[in-house]
Amino acid sequence: MGTVHSAAIEPYRVRLFVEDEIVKDAEITVGVNHRGVERIMEGLPVEKANSLTEKICGICSGVHLWNSVLVAEKGLEIEIPERASYIRIIVGELERIHSHLLYLAHGNEVLGHETFSMRLFYIRETVMELLRMIGGNRVQYGVPIIGGIRPRAELDEMKIQKIREGLDYIEEKVKGFADRFTSDPMIMSRITGVCPLSRKDALRLAVTGPTLRATGVEFDMRREMECYDPFEFDIITENDGDVKSNLLVRVFEIFESVKIIRQALDNLPEGAIVDRSWEMQDTNITKSYVEAPRGTLYHSYALEDGRVRNVVIRTPSMANIGAMQYALIGHHITDAQLGIVQCDPCFTCTDRAIEIVNLKR
Amino acid sequence: MEYSIISAIGTIIIGFIISLWLPGLERKMIHARIQQRIGPPISSPGIMAPLKFFFKQTIRPYSPLPRLYNSLPLIGLLSVFLIFLFSVPETYHLGALASIVAIVGFLKIEEVIYVFMGSLSKSVMSLRMPFPDLAKGAKHPNVQRSFLEDISAMRAFRLIAFGSFPLYIAMFIPVVISKSIFLGDIVAYQKLHGPILFSVAGVIGAIVFFLGYMILLNEYPFVILKAKADVIEGPYMEYAAKWRALVYIMRGFLMFTLAMLFSVLFLGVPPSIFSWGILVNILVAVLFPMLMASFSAFAPIFTFKQFYPVTFGVTILGVVALLAAFI
Repeated sequence: MGTVHSAAIEPYRVRLFVEDEIVKDAEITVGVNHRGVERIMEGLPVEKANSLTEKICGICSGVHLWNSVLVAEKGLEIEIPERASYIRIIVGELERIHSHLLYLAHGNEVLGHETFSMRLFYIRETVMELLRMIGGNRVQYGVPIIGGIRPRAELDEMKIQKIREGLDYIEEKVKGFADRFTSDPMIMSRITGVCPLSRKDALRLAVTGPTLRATGVEFDMRREMECYDPFEFDIITENDGDVKSNLLVRVFEIFESVKIIRQALDNLPEGAIVDRSWEMQDTNITKSYVEAPRGTLYHSYALEDGRVRNVVIRTPSMANIGAMQYALIGHHITDAQLGIVQCDPCFTCTDRAIEIVNLKR
Repeated sequence: MEYSIISAIGTIIIGFIISLWLPGLERKMIHARIQQRIGPPISSPGIMAPLKFFFKQTIRPYSPLPRLYNSLPLIGLLSVFLIFLFSVPETYHLGALASIVAIVGFLKIEEVIYVFMGSLSKSVMSLRMPFPDLAKGAKHPNVQRSFLEDISAMRAFRLIAFGSFPLYIAMFIPVVISKSIFLGDIVAYQKLHGPILFSVAGVIGAIVFFLGYMILLNEYPFVILKAKADVIEGPYMEYAAKWRALVYIMRGFLMFTLAMLFSVLFLGVPPSIFSWGILVNILVAVLFPMLMASFSAFAPIFTFKQFYPVTFGVTILGVVALLAAFI
């Protein structure tokens, strides 16, 4: 299949070795969409380099920028205002909701269920409009800057009210979808036990994010991030690691994100949204990890005369896609695309300068 | 005699014209409504799309027998046309041709062309794509590679082997009840005793016929022949320009013809422009795609794991109906 396959949104190649339509071995090749963002970032002023990271992905653009900004803030030891941190979290969680809804819509499309796919896209539209209202754009909202957030992303009462209304709508609609989805025997038959990944394999293959949590591992990078400390939320896990578990983990994570945003809106601190008192200086290579919608996202770079050096970005899909070629084995060729989609792959994110070699079961 | 010829030709023309609207009705009226979107204009999938394709440049398919490959939709259309023709009352005096056996034969031609389409098509989607690892050495360098269409050809075989059982079993229920394989006799029986649909065997048979209709038309969830998740367009992949237009027309015409066959077999209403009964044919022809669309809009693609048991279950239901017909 591929490099451009009609069921895949982005280009990648899957070689399936089949016997009577059962996949005996699989080989997923990425790299078709490689744009060398890290190389382009080298030597750019840090603000410019940060804004470039937003172009890495059209789905989780906000979290890329957030993490890139966090690298600079950690290196320069900048404490951002609490209000800014809360607004970053609100945007980050809205992004997670829209990413998960996109995943669910795409998953249903691959499943052949166009109706659910369409309806999920309609729900997602509300989130996209909220993000546009906050950041000014639907895809690259550019909220975080070094020291806080961009002034245009400040939340006033009208915006807060609209976000609350949007959350009510999303919660109601996703609940309706979840009820209908889980009670449909035909859908459950198509996704239960399909392309499962064991907990052991998930850990061995460094799987991350909801895909890892779908195998029963209770790990969420948000628990490690200080800015999430004031918020109460559950880490959603499922035990089977199959398509059903992956879909359900993301459905329930949407409710947790809604919960976090509501808490952030209820307790939004007053005060400034950006600290401009910091001074630029050289730093060593600084690392930062955040929980992107697909899992742990890593950014690191050093600063030299206000310019970035030694940029490394590692996206969660890189590990997840590598693991999927094992999950496909023994399953029907029709399920192969579904098996890959279950890890919510994002190839514009993935196609970085990293190569996975010799992963053996 | 002239009257009969005019009636047959007129009926076929009416049926053909209506068949062009059916894909649009299915997409616009049902799918789009259920999916809460605007959808295409009703004329788009059945009329405007084929019309557009007729004026596109014909691309020579990458096939060992390109002319045969391109002529297959025409053969399919011809076989559907013959089913229609021999269902028109004016042809009932032809005997064997206007019988269930002949119709099954023509439907088998319709089914078997998908096998040929799949095996004669070799699209750019697989073997011809110059993958660099061919030079470097792949994970399994010496394996036999197949085209996507090969898979669909194998699936077409599976459909012929057991997927089409429900439709054929349902078609034989009126035969058992009327004790004749001739359409004329089946229609005459129902004129005397009322529609077969209103018997126990008829009701079950109608359900089985409808599911068989969906399987034969390869609609979701029985879309194994051209599932986007794996074989993309399957046997149709290489059709371009007027040949693709013929594929679209063939499908629409098959939709109408199968529904019309249902009217003949289960309602005893043969199509004729000189009879009000043709309105029943049209109504059934419109209702069937709408029901099909309602069902398919809420169904995922079946893999064999679901396809085999469902087909088996429907076949068993057909056998029950057949037994009920004997009683």
